[in-house]
Amino acid sequence: MKKIPLVVAAIGVAALVAASSAGARPAADKPVEITLWHAQADAAQKAIHKLVGQFNKTHPGIVVHDQLGSGGDEMVQKLQAVIGSDAYPDIAYVYGSDVPNVSQSNKVVDISKDIKKAGFAWNSLYPAGRETATVGSKVVGFPAVIDNLAVVYNTKILKAAGVAPPKPNWTWSDYRALAKKLTDSSKDIIGTGYPISGSEDTTWRLWPMIWQQGGDVLDSANKKALFGGPQGVKALQLLSDMALKDKSLYPDQSSDSLKMYGLFESGKMGMVVTGPWQLQEIKDHGISYGVQVMPSFGGSHETISGPDVYMVFNHSDERRAAAVTFLSWLHQPAQDLQWDMQTGNLPLSAKTAALPGMKQYDAKFTGVDLFVKNLQNAHHIRPPVAAYTSVSVAVGKAIATSLLGRGSPKDTLGQAAKTADKALS
Amino acid sequence: MAAVARKHSRPPAWRRALPENITGWSFALPASVIVLGLGFFPVIWSFVLSTKATNGFGPEQSVGLANYRELAHDQEWLDAVSRSLKFTLLYVPTTVLMGLGLALLLNQKIRFIGFYRTCFFVPFVASAAATGVIFLYVLDPQYGVVDNAIAWMGFHRQLFLDDPDWALFLLAPIYTWTAVGFDVLIYLAALQDVPQDQSEAARIDGAGRFAVFRHVILPAVRPITVLAVVWETINALQFFDIAWATKRGGPIDATTVIIVYGYKLGFVQGQAGLGAAVACVLFVGIVVLVLLQVGYARWRKLDVV
Repeated sequence: MKKIPLVVAAIGVAALVAASSAGARPAADKPVEITLWHAQADAAQKAIHKLVGQFNKTHPGIVVHDQLGSGGDEMVQKLQAVIGSDAYPDIAYVYGSDVPNVSQSNKVVDISKDIKKAGFAWNSLYPAGRETATVGSKVVGFPAVIDNLAVVYNTKILKAAGVAPPKPNWTWSDYRALAKKLTDSSKDIIGTGYPISGSEDTTWRLWPMIWQQGGDVLDSANKKALFGGPQGVKALQLLSDMALKDKSLYPDQSSDSLKMYGLFESGKMGMVVTGPWQLQEIKDHGISYGVQVMPSFGGSHETISGPDVYMVFNHSDERRAAAVTFLSWLHQPAQDLQWDMQTGNLPLSAKTAALPGMKQYDAKFTGVDLFVKNLQNAHHIRPPVAAYTSVSVAVGKAIATSLLGRGSPKDTLGQAAKTADKALS
Repeated sequence: MAAVARKHSRPPAWRRALPENITGWSFALPASVIVLGLGFFPVIWSFVLSTKATNGFGPEQSVGLANYRELAHDQEWLDAVSRSLKFTLLYVPTTVLMGLGLALLLNQKIRFIGFYRTCFFVPFVASAAATGVIFLYVLDPQYGVVDNAIAWMGFHRQLFLDDPDWALFLLAPIYTWTAVGFDVLIYLAALQDVPQDQSEAARIDGAGRFAVFRHVILPAVRPITVLAVVWETINALQFFDIAWATKRGGPIDATTVIIVYGYKLGFVQGQAGLGAAVACVLFVGIVVLVLLQVGYARWRKLDVV
């Protein structure tokens, strides 16, 4: 008998609490809480956590919770799983190649007005970053990192082989000859590597080689594959000759190219095509290295820039505004530089690049100044269409097949082009 | 008279049964809800999803059975089915036979038998992701223990899982290693039920060890064999975790079995509807195959399943 009134009282109290909290308007003393899913590990994770802490301290109205959403490769799967519920984050770190796909969600809205309201100078960001964060006419987030590809070489291995470091005007035949010279099976040293796990990391490395020759990935309407043309075949033929004939290129099947970088960082690989994100790790392994721009086919040294994006997901006007406030703060030159200093990532705007602190940054990461300059060699972006993910998988398979000697570049890329055409139609 | 009166005073059978039924159902209800919610609902939902064109993010568009029609013409899907069937043909017999063999070995009264039995069961309990990563290291062509041993003995290094021709056929024994513990367990349980007097009688009649096995033990464990074959067939067709943890369906597409293909479609290539169609076809395929197996077993009177 005694229990019933107690239960009733408890329900009454709960109802009262609920009513009072529901009745209260978002008061000034109750901060807006938002969640950020990053995809960072190690030093980068610490760096973003530190920045979030600074923001929370200086912005009493907003609390940002930074969480490891997943590794970058798996972020889309994770977002897919939560997007139907209310548990999706306010901000997530999404690979540039996945942005058009994720943007089809109705939780992704145009944030350009919020950016204006926050007083952020959007146009100060480098164009490559802005373009990747814009789908159609919608701004769907802020660029998170901008990178590009260049060649990092091990100076000790070059010296031991008695060859000079590559020059800025070097060609792909120079690259092939150098890889052959550096390969020394008696010392278990291989010239270079190429990831063939079949993910986007396999695919995007082929694009600059096609662009350099005046070719393109898709036609201007993004409806037909062009990568199977003579430029693509020539590029893939070079890589497969290096892998199969010269045996100077290690085709790496591991996910996230772990083995290729592992070989380079343990002094068993002469050079590797990579981005600035790898510099911190190469440094940590005590490898003395140099950086040179991508080789050319006689003319352009074009590279590819594959910016990743902090995508904003809409919960409410209030939370969206808070997310944009946080990202605007994060993209101020001072914070940008702090992030770059701790991770080796490139500045997101010319304003950051002009800061006096950049000198320390250049000194800390040997060769990073070349990556900054190399941004000028990035002219194209990946086709910003949702079907790109299917194109990427098809081309990844073609490259892997050819580098393992299971099909000529003409056949494998031709097959991939057929698959791509179907996905694009 | 008295008997008739008593009969009339009793409530009808259905009313007598009612309170018992309510008690029974109230016990069964929570579990039924969980089974329906976690088992049937996703199946129905994935069928609904399979009739749509969607990437899991964007607007859904009903396309009827177009996804199924697309699968029928999809060479990569047919390749995946053929890989799954090859895998099943290799995996099921080895796993069931090894399970029986190991159970016979472990069904002895020797010292530390509990420890030995545990040894075979541990891989079954270990997570598939961990198992996959361990084998990736052990079989690594550069750093792996196995290849180093082969090189030390003066033979050529092998590519193992990096070889598109071998990867799938290597995954089968790896999966057997992780799964055989379950078959050992059920066979051990079955062997406890083999009547001792029959084996003894057979031996007295002059039957050798093999004859006892062939004519006494094997018939006694037949129902368990049917169970093991059905169970492992389902497992083999649904094989995914180790394939994904080791090679993500590669090299090239060598280990892209049915579920890996569906996963890639749905979660990597943004074709959730087509991925769901793969899952549904597999579901129906497994149901049909299991019905055939059980039907065959009933017809041959092999089982009590």
